[in-house]
Amino acid sequence: MKILVFIKHVADTEARILISSDKKTLEIENKYTMSFFDEFAVEEALRIKEKLKEGQVVVCTFGNKKAIEALRTAVAMGADSAFLIDNTDMENDDPMVNAKVLSGFAKREGFDLILCGRQAIDDENACLGPMIAEFLDIPHVSTITKLEIIEIKKILVESEIEGGTALTEVQLPALLTVQKGLNEPRVPLITGVMKAMKTAVPVVDPSEFGIIKNELNNESRTYVLSYEPPSGRPPVKIVEGEAADIKVKNLIELLRNEARAI
Amino acid sequence: MAKDIYVFVECKDGTIRKASLELLSKARELTEKTFSNVYAVAVGFGMNEIAEDLKFFADKVIIVDNQDLKDYRWDTYRGVLEYIIKKYNPFMVFGVATATGKDLFPRLAARLNTAIIADAIGIEYEGEEIKVRKPFFGGKILSWMAFRHGIAPVITFRPNSFAIEKRQTGGEIVEETVEIKKDPRLTTLKLNKGSNHKVDLQEADFIICGGRGMKGSEHFRILEEIAYIMNGRVGASRAVVDSKWREYDDQVGKSGKTVAPKVYIGCGISGALHHTMGMDTSKTIVAINKDPNAPIFQYADYGIVDDLFAILPALKEELKKTKEEN
Ligand SMILES: Cc1cc2nc3c(=O)[nH]c(=O)nc-3n(C[C@H](O)[C@H](O)[C@H](O)COP(=O)(O)OP(=O)(O)OC[C@H]3O[C@@H](n4cnc5c(N)ncnc54)[C@H](O)[C@@H]3O)c2cc1C
Ligand SMILES: Nc1ncnc2c1ncn2[C@@H]1O[C@H](COP(=O)(O)O)[C@@H](O)[C@H]1O
Repeated sequence: MKILVFIKHVADTEARILISSDKKTLEIENKYTMSFFDEFAVEEALRIKEKLKEGQVVVCTFGNKKAIEALRTAVAMGADSAFLIDNTDMENDDPMVNAKVLSGFAKREGFDLILCGRQAIDDENACLGPMIAEFLDIPHVSTITKLEIIEIKKILVESEIEGGTALTEVQLPALLTVQKGLNEPRVPLITGVMKAMKTAVPVVDPSEFGIIKNELNNESRTYVLSYEPPSGRPPVKIVEGEAADIKVKNLIELLRNEARAI
Repeated sequence: MAKDIYVFVECKDGTIRKASLELLSKARELTEKTFSNVYAVAVGFGMNEIAEDLKFFADKVIIVDNQDLKDYRWDTYRGVLEYIIKKYNPFMVFGVATATGKDLFPRLAARLNTAIIADAIGIEYEGEEIKVRKPFFGGKILSWMAFRHGIAPVITFRPNSFAIEKRQTGGEIVEETVEIKKDPRLTTLKLNKGSNHKVDLQEADFIICGGRGMKGSEHFRILEEIAYIMNGRVGASRAVVDSKWREYDDQVGKSGKTVAPKVYIGCGISGALHHTMGMDTSKTIVAINKDPNAPIFQYADYGIVDDLFAILPALKEELKKTKEEN
């Protein structure tokens, strides 16, 4: 079984982010990691391969040169090969464009199963999985929490739906987005890290699978007008009182008459 | 050109979801500026009552009522919306960024090859142009985004982004019949809809969230009672979910849910960045923590520095009184 895992290299939660003076671009401190949910996707791919005792796990990201770090993390965990699709010179970060590029790669590479994170933690779009599936004309299931291979071309997945869970039988090839709870991602062993450092990560240009970057820039359908920091709250009002119940009474008073929140 | 906005309406247990009414209300405000119409599009089975209710939120209500649409599936719903969009040619399509919306709209946008902005929190006209408010990096950065040359852009919004306004007169109901096609590669074996009466965490107006300071799962009972009084929901920090005191479904934060209720109360939560990123757009934030230096106070409007076990029983009584007075 050939499994593709799409991972994204994102700014860490702690990274400082500055907005340029023209409000058009962001300067992000050099603290990056693999997007939180993508680790579950890599882990699941490895587990499937281990269970079937055959197969191939290929990880891929569409990003800049720095994103090789995230790919190496996946290789250190056990992925067989990694590809970076270079996005230098891309003007915009648009889900439509990204989905076209990644589905183009998937078509060229071939696959039985594609795994993605539920959503990236920087843009929280939760778009790419279902969009890539649409471009590849394959079924998808979002936010899966359990996966079982029942036949070579058939899997059973449990997924989160509005207000509950669903159990679905899916014919492969298919795309799944993964939710926390699916597994516990492994921490790479030192031997894995050593292997990852030696693994060559090919940099592919989208033109290799027939997508021309300049044309993609025209395909981009959205753009950022401006960035700004959130307005921030006034300093906290600490509610005083001699005893707990007085503090609570004073709080309710403020919530009712000042904040008009209850 | 008419700038009609089509709102995909989500229903739950035979009622319209609050978040969909928010979108209809905002769409109305926008279409009034351009002398255009708001269309509510409701898809499902047994839609008569829903259609009647929707009349007071839209100029036109499009209903697709079919047994095969009883439960949501992206394949059947995508087919229906694709048909409606191609037939009516809307200026914009709005949906809610719920589990259903996140599953459906990206796939629909790709199908139509149109623009999508997901998980937005605001939208305005600037002159003739539309601009959309979208947070990045868990709310550390806000942006205004615009569309290039998309036909019928699709926008999904977080619940609790807009106020709800009912109107006086009712709109007209149109019933559409669409052929339903199921993708044979996908078979639903079981649907487990869980506890139906629970308010959806992302839609709740009132959330009381417990952290490690709650000391154990048994103490969440009082939070449940308070949530019940306020018709809200209990949330939890990741520390609590990892300790198995609460289900993952309750987790607020970067690796859990992003919420923006009218009132958020954090009890025994330190206020780690991973947590605050999921709640800092709440309208009013209250923190209860015995440590005056807990970071949560930097995000709160009101704070109580005290032992939560002393505060919570009093809070429950006072909120109950407030509710009874109203
Ligand atoms: C990749 C990643 C993703 C994460 N995602 C999330 C997420 O989605 N959501 C999330 O919440 N966290 C998340 N975390 C974890 C986060 O960093 C914190 O560890 C977590 O939020 C801490 O939970 P807490 O506030 O309940 O516990 P603590 O930090 O232990 O805080 C407990 C607080 O309770 C107070 N307290 C104790 N006893 C009492 C008492 N009797 N009365 C009053 N106050 C009391 C203490 O003063 C303290 O401030 C994530 C972490 C990582 C690395
Ligand atoms: N640039 C990218 N390269 C590879 N995979 C990506 C990229 N962006 C998003 N993904 C995948 O798509 C998922 C959802 O991303 P998003 O739609 O941005 O929320 C992520 O968890 C990744 O698995």
